[in-house]
Amino acid sequence: MPWELTLPDALLHASPGGLQQAAGAGACDPAMENEAFTVFYTRSSRPLWAYLARSSADPALADDLMQESYVRYLCAAGAPSIVADGEAAARLYLFRIASNLLRDHWRRPRAASIEEVPEEFFAARGHETQSDSRIALEPALRQMKPRERQLLWLAHAEGYSHREIARVMGLSAASIRLLLFRARRKIAALLRAPAATETLGRKS
Amino acid sequence: MKLTTCPHQKEVRQLMARGQWPAACTTELRAHVDACRACGDLVLVAEAFQQARAESLAAARPVSPALLLWRAQLRRRNAAVERIGRPLLGAQIFLFAVVVVAAVEFAGFEAHSGASWATWPFWRDWLAQLPHAAASQWASLSSGPLAASGWNWMLPAFVLATLALLGGAAVYLATDKR
Repeated sequence: MPWELTLPDALLHASPGGLQQAAGAGACDPAMENEAFTVFYTRSSRPLWAYLARSSADPALADDLMQESYVRYLCAAGAPSIVADGEAAARLYLFRIASNLLRDHWRRPRAASIEEVPEEFFAARGHETQSDSRIALEPALRQMKPRERQLLWLAHAEGYSHREIARVMGLSAASIRLLLFRARRKIAALLRAPAATETLGRKS
Repeated sequence: MKLTTCPHQKEVRQLMARGQWPAACTTELRAHVDACRACGDLVLVAEAFQQARAESLAAARPVSPALLLWRAQLRRRNAAVERIGRPLLGAQIFLFAVVVVAAVEFAGFEAHSGASWATWPFWRDWLAQLPHAAASQWASLSSGPLAASGWNWMLPAFVLATLALLGGAAVYLATDKR
């Protein structure tokens, strides 16, 4: 048997994303941890995926980043506990991890081109692109900066307050207020002129 | 761009968050939203994003949470292994440095004494006289000041400790990579 498998559980579970920080001895029960995480995951995974997919405009990337966000959350030493700190705090922390991953992705030089994306990806997701809101919102979102897309999604899709967005984005609440005001005005103008948006979108 | 806010924005935002826009709002507020640019922008953008959110939630295909728990456990295990392995690597480096220093010292000493230690006859003679040399060294130490002071047990203890350390290090270095 490899010696790594004989590591004590206390060492392995030193930083399990706050699940062990949950109050009471029962919280150290792995079955309970798994159950709490499963409930949290069921409630938060779809909103997180939606945030990542709309901010990045890349569903495949959203799949990857969503999984990585949860794994990092589970491994993070200072992550809020689902039981003790509440699901809202845990969710905010999760969105923060996802935002940081998105930012890291945008900072990295692009390695893949559109030709490298498999054909079945488009076939599987094709039906989603036919909806009305996508037709209206997607071209407008494409003209927004990545940070503006994140801000708008967090404020208007997730309904977060300025202070919560500030915690997710790592900015001050005053900056969020101004940035959000500008972004909202910009996208509202784009949504009011869909024809112009389509033309601009095709050119870019 | 000047930041202009409207006092009705908060009310509009709350109505939208509760899903009561526009059904539960007053005629005055609806008229205000039609006339006010800030509130109009808010309603337009929020409606578009909430519709997009509903569609995206339906399109999401999350993987099993068990898979994520397993990946997290694997990552924690790897991190723990790495944490444990760090001091062991330090010990390996230290042992290697001790061996190198000892070898250099030995080579320097032998070169200084003028012996041709790089040849086989030198090592053959050295090995042949090793038991005699050890016995004579032991005899001189046994009758020396160390023995007189009652600390003569220290030498064999030191030799045994050194052999145990080097033996353990040799076994570790030989088996670690495997």
